[in-house]
Formats: sequence, C-alpha cells, structure tokens
Amino acid sequence: MGDVMEDLSSITPTNECEEHVFIAARHMLKALGASKNVSNDLRRLLADVDIHLSRRTNITETVLDGTREVEERLKLAQEKVMRWESNRSMIWASGHEEASEYLQAVYEIQRLMESLRSSPSSSSGKQKELLDRAHSVLQMAMERLELELLHILAQNKQSFEPEYVSFRSCEEDFVSDVSIVSTEDESIGDTSRRDSSGTESENHIVDLVHPDIISYIKSIANVMFASHYDQEFCHAFTNFWKDALDEYFFTLGIDKLSIEGLLKMEWNCLNCKINKWIRAVKFIIRVYLAGEKRLFDQVLGEFGSVYSTCFVEASKGSMLCMLNFGEAMAIGTRRPEKLFKLLDMYEVLADLLQDVDSLFSSEIGSFIRTEFHELLMKLGDTVRATFMEFGHEVALYPSTNPCNRGVVHPLTKYVMNYINVIVEYASSLNLLLGGVQDGAELVPFDQNISLDNFCPLAHHLRSLMSYLEHNLDKKSRLYKDSSLKHIFMMNNLYYMVQKVRVSKLVTLVGGEWIREYTAKFQNHATNYERGTWKPVLSLLMDDENKTRKSILKERYRSFNISFEEVYKNQTGWFIPDTELRKDLQISISQKVIHAYRTFIGKNSSVIDEKHIKYTADELENFLFDLFEGSPMRLHSIHKR
Amino acid sequence: MRATDNQGSFLNRISIRRNQVVSMDGNHEQELEDLELFQKHVADRFSDLLLPQPSSSSSASGDSPADATSPADALLSIAWFRKLLDAFLCCEAEFKAVLVMGRDPAQFAKAPLDRLIPELLDRAVKALDVCNAITHGVELVRHWQKLAQIAVTALEQRPIGEGQVRRAKKALTTLLTSMAFDDKESHHGKSTDRNWSFGRRGGGAANKDKTAGNFRSLSWNVAKSWSASKQIQAMSSNLIAPRGGEPTGLALPVYVMSTVLVFVMWALVAAIPCQERTGLPTHFPVPRQLGWAQPVIGLQEKIGEEWKKKEKKGTCGLLEEIQKMEKLSQGLVEFADGFQFPAETDDVAAMVAELAEICGKMEEGLVPLQQQVREVFHRIVRSRAEVLDVLDQVGKLSTPVPY
Repeated sequence: MGDVMEDLSSITPTNECEEHVFIAARHMLKALGASKNVSNDLRRLLADVDIHLSRRTNITETVLDGTREVEERLKLAQEKVMRWESNRSMIWASGHEEASEYLQAVYEIQRLMESLRSSPSSSSGKQKELLDRAHSVLQMAMERLELELLHILAQNKQSFEPEYVSFRSCEEDFVSDVSIVSTEDESIGDTSRRDSSGTESENHIVDLVHPDIISYIKSIANVMFASHYDQEFCHAFTNFWKDALDEYFFTLGIDKLSIEGLLKMEWNCLNCKINKWIRAVKFIIRVYLAGEKRLFDQVLGEFGSVYSTCFVEASKGSMLCMLNFGEAMAIGTRRPEKLFKLLDMYEVLADLLQDVDSLFSSEIGSFIRTEFHELLMKLGDTVRATFMEFGHEVALYPSTNPCNRGVVHPLTKYVMNYINVIVEYASSLNLLLGGVQDGAELVPFDQNISLDNFCPLAHHLRSLMSYLEHNLDKKSRLYKDSSLKHIFMMNNLYYMVQKVRVSKLVTLVGGEWIREYTAKFQNHATNYERGTWKPVLSLLMDDENKTRKSILKERYRSFNISFEEVYKNQTGWFIPDTELRKDLQISISQKVIHAYRTFIGKNSSVIDEKHIKYTADELENFLFDLFEGSPMRLHSIHKR
Repeated sequence: MRATDNQGSFLNRISIRRNQVVSMDGNHEQELEDLELFQKHVADRFSDLLLPQPSSSSSASGDSPADATSPADALLSIAWFRKLLDAFLCCEAEFKAVLVMGRDPAQFAKAPLDRLIPELLDRAVKALDVCNAITHGVELVRHWQKLAQIAVTALEQRPIGEGQVRRAKKALTTLLTSMAFDDKESHHGKSTDRNWSFGRRGGGAANKDKTAGNFRSLSWNVAKSWSASKQIQAMSSNLIAPRGGEPTGLALPVYVMSTVLVFVMWALVAAIPCQERTGLPTHFPVPRQLGWAQPVIGLQEKIGEEWKKKEKKGTCGLLEEIQKMEKLSQGLVEFADGFQFPAETDDVAAMVAELAEICGKMEEGLVPLQQQVREVFHRIVRSRAEVLDVLDQVGKLSTPVPY
C-alpha cells in the first residue's frame, strides 16, 4: 500500500479503465471474507484492500448492488472519520498515511452518496436514511478538514523577519528635521537621501508556507471542493491569510491610525512612520503579496476565477489601510520639509504600479488597482504643490535683521542644500512639473538658456534660485552700509554658484546660469570696491593743487584716517570662502597699494619718511586682515 | 440616474449665469437665488429619501412577494443608502458651486467664514475616518453574507438531513456570534491577542478556537482608540444654525452642507457595524423652521427611534438587510436545534428563501455601496483641497509676492 502515499494532492476519485479488474478482485475478496477460516487480522487487511480498490471503482457502476453493501461501506468510512473525532491529535500531523486514509474515507463517502442519489430506489426509506447519514458524516469530516487546514496553515506559516524589521527602532536615525531655519551645510544634504533600494530579499517572492505542505493544503482543497464545501474552504483559507497579513503589518511596525490622527502628528514622528510605510509597502506588495498570490494560485488555481477572488478578499482590507496612509499624507500640509518624503512615497508607488496592476488584474481587483492609481496621482499633485509652495516660501521668507558680518544667509544655505537633494529626484519631478506654469517666465535668463537644459525641473530650479536672489536682495537692503550690502550679496551669490558648480545641479541648470551668476557676484565685488575704495583712493589722486603742501599733507592724513576707518569696519566683516576672500583682498591691494606708492613716490618731497605713517608693505599686510571676521583697530596694533 | 442629471444641469445653469452677471451689480441677488435653489434641492432630495418611492416596486427585482410589504429602497436598506450617498454627492457638488465658484476669496477671511470654514474642514477630515470605518464595516457585512450563503446552500438541498442542518447551523452560529461580538463593541481590546493557539486543541474545543480565529480577521482597520460615536459627536457639537432672519450669506450653505454631512455619516454609523458605537447620539438639533430641514429631521427621528430600539434589543446594525439576516439566522438556528430527521421543512423553506433573497441583495448591493462610500471619501478629499486652495489664495493675497 506504500504507493498510495506519494502525493496527497493527487488523491482524487479515479477513472473507469480498470474497473473490470477491480470488480473481479473485489468479488474474490468478498468470497474470501465470507470464508469462515480467516483470521481477524487477515479479515481487517482484506477490508482495507477492499476499500482501497473501491476507491478506484467507477461510482456509477452498478457494483453497489445492494443497500446492504452501501451500508457496510458507509459504516467503514464513518468509523474512519469518527475515529478522529475522539482523537486529540491532528490527522495531517500524524503522517501521510493517516491523512491519505482519511481522504480516501471522505471520497468513499462522496461516492456512496452519489450512488445513493442515482440509485433507482433512491426514494426508499432506507436509502434516504443512508444518504442522510452520509451527509452527517461528510459534514463532520468537512468540519474536521477545515480545522486541519487551519492547523496546517498556522503551523507552517513562514515568518519572515526581513532585515529591516530592525528599523522599528529607527525613530531618530533620520534627522530630517529640516526646518527652513536650519543652518548647517549638511542639514539635509545627506539625510533625506533615500535608502538604496533593491536589496536582494526584496526582489524574490517568498513562500508563505513551507513548500512541502502545499500538497497537504491542496489535498484538503480538492476534497472540500469535490464535496461542494468550496465556500467553507475559501472562507477559512481567505480569512486565515487576511489575518496573517494584518498581523504582518503589525510586525512591520505599521500601526493603524486615523487620518485625523496622522494629520495632527508631529513631523518627526510622521517622518518615521513614512519610512516604515515605504519599506512595508515595497515588501508587502512586491514580495509578500506576490507570494500570497502564487500560493492562492497553487491551491485554488484549478478551480477557476475563485483563486483571484479569494486573493483580493484576503488582501483588500490591508491594502486599503496602506493606501489610506498615503491618502492622509497626500492631504496633509504642504511643508517644504515633507517634499522628499512625499517624493519617496511617490516613487515607491510609481515603482510598484506594475506589480499592483498584475496582482490585482482581475475584475474584482480593479477596485484596489484604481485606488492605487488614484493615490499615485494625488501624491504627485501634492509633491507638485509642495514644491511650488517651497518657491513661495523662499520668496516670502521674512527679513527682520541684517545678517551679521555679511555672511551667507541661512536661507541661502537651506535652499541650496534643499535644491541639491531635489536633483536626486530629477526624473520624477520632471514628470510632475511638466506643464506647470509659474510666474517665473519673466526672469531674464530664460531667454538664452540652451535647449538641453530645458527640462521642467531646470526651469523651476532657476526660478527658485531667482526667488532666492530676490529675497536676498530684499534682505541686503537692511544693511545701512552699502558696501556691506555688496559683500553680503557677493557672499551669497558666490555660495549659490559654488553649490551648483560642485553638484549634479550644474548639468541641470547649465553653464549659462553659472556664467550669469558669476557675473552677478563679481559685479557686487566691483560695486563694493567702488563704494568703499573710490572715495578713499580719490584722496591720493592727482589734481591741480598738488603743489600746495598743506593740502597734500591734509589729504594724506585724511587717507590714513579713512583707511583706518575702513580697516576697523571691514576686518569685522566676513567672507567665509578663503578663495573668494583672497581674490578680493588681492584685487583691493593691487589698486590701493599702486595708488599709495604712486602718491608717496610723487610727493616724497612733501611727505618725507618721518611723516609716513604706514609703509606700502604695511598697508598691504593690513589689507589681508580684511573680511576675516574679527574686528581690529589699527592704532592699537601699530607700533607707533 | 435622475440625481446626476440634476447635478449636471444645475452646475451648468450656475456657471452660465455667473458668466453673464459677473460684471453686474445684481451679484448679490444672484447669490441669494443660488442659495435658495441649493436649499430647495437639498429639501427635494431628502424628501425623496423620506418617502419610499411608490414606483420602486416596479424595479427589476420586484417580482418577489416580499417587495409588496417592503419597497426595494425601504428606509435603511442597502438600496436606500445608495440613494442617500447619491443625494450626498449631488448636494455636495452644488454646495461647492455655491461656496467656491466665482467667489471672492477674501470672503473666506472674514467673519463668519473665517471660523466656519476651518470647522467645515475639520468635519471633513473626521468624515474621512468615518468613511474608512464604514468601508471596513461593509467588508464585515460581506463576511456575514458569505456565512449566510453557506447556510442557504446547505438548507436549499432536498431532503434536508442532519448533515445539512449541522452545516447550516455551524455557519449561522459563527455568523450570530460575530454579530453579537460586534455589538459588544469590544473588538479592539481583544484583537491584540494574536497568537494562534492550536497546540492544546481537542476535537470539541477546536470549534471555539476556530470561531475566535474568524473574529480576528475582522479586527477593525482603524486606530484602536478611534470611536465612531465620539467622531459623530465631535462633528455635530459645533453645528450651530446661523442666527437671525437676515440673510447670512455663506454661513447658511455651510451649515446646510455640514448638517447633511453629519446626518449621512451618522446614518451610516448607525446602520453598518463599525468600531465603538456606544453612546451614538440619537439626534442632533436642527431648527425646524428651516424649510430644507424638515425631511432631514423626519429621517433623523425615524432612524433615532430605530437606534433606541437597537440599544435595547442589541442589533448589530440598523441596515435592514442585517436586521433581517440576524432574525432569520436566529430562526434557522432554532430550527436546527429542534431538528429531527425526517422533518417538516415547509416553514424552513420560506425562511431560507428569504435569507437567500437577502444574500442576493447584499451580493448585488454591498460592493457598489462600498465603492460609493469610497467615492464619498474621495469627493470630500477633493472638496477639502479646493477649499484649502481658496484659503491659500487668501493667504497669498495678504502677503503678495513682489514680482
């Protein structure tokens, strides 16, 4: 009997081809069984063989010649079913043999029922009674099978602890609190970058149950479907997986939250939830549900569309729950710090679109499919709106006090770092921003941008930077000293250019932009020199009255006073970038020292050595103290 | 559909008229007229809902004798709720036209809208959560439907034997336990215990394990502390009719629409199982003198009465189909308990036929209802966004970009 044990799922009512052999064999068995000198053991064995053979007997055969035989066989099958009713252990857990025997008993009952129904005397009292009994036993068996099924599933459900379950403790590992006032250069540059996706485990489908037991599940499905208990099977099977998915969400750290609760949540907390959500969505759709669908197909595939119906039933609730989180994010406030998370969400959904379309390709799955597409669209809209809102905030970011020492404004740093991160999302944003118009068409550089830079994102980034520039311009007006205003603008514009130059931004906004902004900051440098040094140097310039000593002396004295004044002021100003600082110092020094030497040289007769307060070299050295950020006074450091 | 036609024509009229009068001084009168029209339409739609359509018995499923006593869209039936949600969507579209279209955004920043609009938006968010809870509630009802369907399948067989009776009874007991469990409003407490414990099961005890397992799958897909009744209370607490006989401008339509929204959400919560309904208000005050309010008050009273009965009786939802299903299931379980083979099955056949009919109605109506609830959800989201856009404009008007 060993050969019966191969694959449980292959146990089905069998065909008619060998029926004659079987009939003959069974007659022999009957004759043997009737013989008086047969031991009890042998008798039992014979009965078993009989059952085994009858399994293969064509049910419509008139072999069941008498009600008595039906009754006998029913009794045997019933005994097998009943035996387990009082047994506390599970059938499938007790081994193949037991399971196989149980299945055969159930098929036997089915066969008997069919023959009872089709028998000519089916309306007789005895037949009715037998049929009723068979029904009862079948019902008992079905209840049992349902339990067995749930037990098998519960015992063999694979638990995956994907490596990122550890991210449950992620709470603060993403310091994405990038409020617009944060000042550190790196505040967003390296924090909100998405995790490099596509770790191996995310790309293969998992087995939700151990592959070895699929044939067990299948065998139960087969016998329950054959007994017209498909509703019970699907109900139990579907509910089990519904639960399992629900539970899995819990494992992944996805809490169920109301939309109202999510909208009121602090950003830090929400940020962490978004991270979890993104990873969960990716894993659940690409790996878990793909595995689930495969399992449903393996178990129910041969019964037609029921498999996809059950699959959708089992996953719908959780999918909706997952989508609702996205809905809540899509309708939340459009704060700039949310942009990258929204983009992450958008990109992960866009990436999963095909998976969802194929998972829920059936008619009944269209609900989820549509919801998914709609959410993707909404998130896209929110991303777009948040981006535009950012531009608005940049333009309107209020100015109250001028920036100390003329340094780079925190807004500039924030915006430029922000833009640097934005570039990482270029392809999504180009898609989302295509066709969006804003008021930036009037910005002059738009007329001469080269064609290869003409992508929507580049256009918007240029607008964004022009908003920034305008805002800086507004802020620069807070300075009383117009020279400091130029230093401030120069510092900020230079910072912008540098940020663009060293990043991917350069390819996006283009060389034209760099040239334009370089010209702008250089222009501010020139204006600074003009503003500060022109009046000072004018004291050293030739004019018609040079012969008058007193005037020359007076002018030399004025020059020294002016120089000391500038020194006192501008050593306190700050140009953070050393290169830029050196450049400006050299440029000033060239002009000042040249004029000074010329003046001293020409007027050596009037201003002799003992009247000279500073040598040209000394002056030159002093000039290199400018813009170092620590105010100094000349008379306090000068030897005389 | 009739209602949708209304909506289309109404919107057309509004937009055409607005275009015509946009430069004229008669704007105010126009507004008053629109407002009156809006209220009239609300009144009409809710009157329709109050009085079952006499013509409804001629609908497709009208040949069953049960229809003679209860029309296809009887109060609180699935069909009625579908009509209600239709009405909501139409009212909402008109409301938005009155509120937003051609409106000077500056009005939003002035009293009373500066207070009413945030309240409206807050109610909208709460309604979204109610919609979600209802969507999951409908899912639970579909679960019940499947159990009832099993009973129908078993009991439709002839002759009815002990096996069929047992099969039906098992399904119906699970169904009734689930319904009763729902009514105890204690899902969220229990669902945390999520371990399957099959280790110690025995033949008899296993049944209970299994039943409990069924419930777990029905744990609500909303936050644990979320409460439908609290939500409805919060939505209705600041619902105050604008005072005085003077025209109140936009305050009135905001009030009308808010009342409609709260009413619809309240009715859904009363009818369809959802988390934590203890203390659901049986009514919220709506001034009788307002013309459009009459049918709303009428409906509210009827449903409120039903809800009071429910609280005594312990029904798990006022949805007509649920109530009938519950009663029939109890009847059939009673029959099963007293069953002896062979039995008289004529009276059972009638019950089974009725249960089958209810399953049919659910099969036909629940998924579309669920989709409609989702549509309401999306509509509320969209309208909220549109109102926010206007507010945004107001915000930007007060701090203009200098270039």
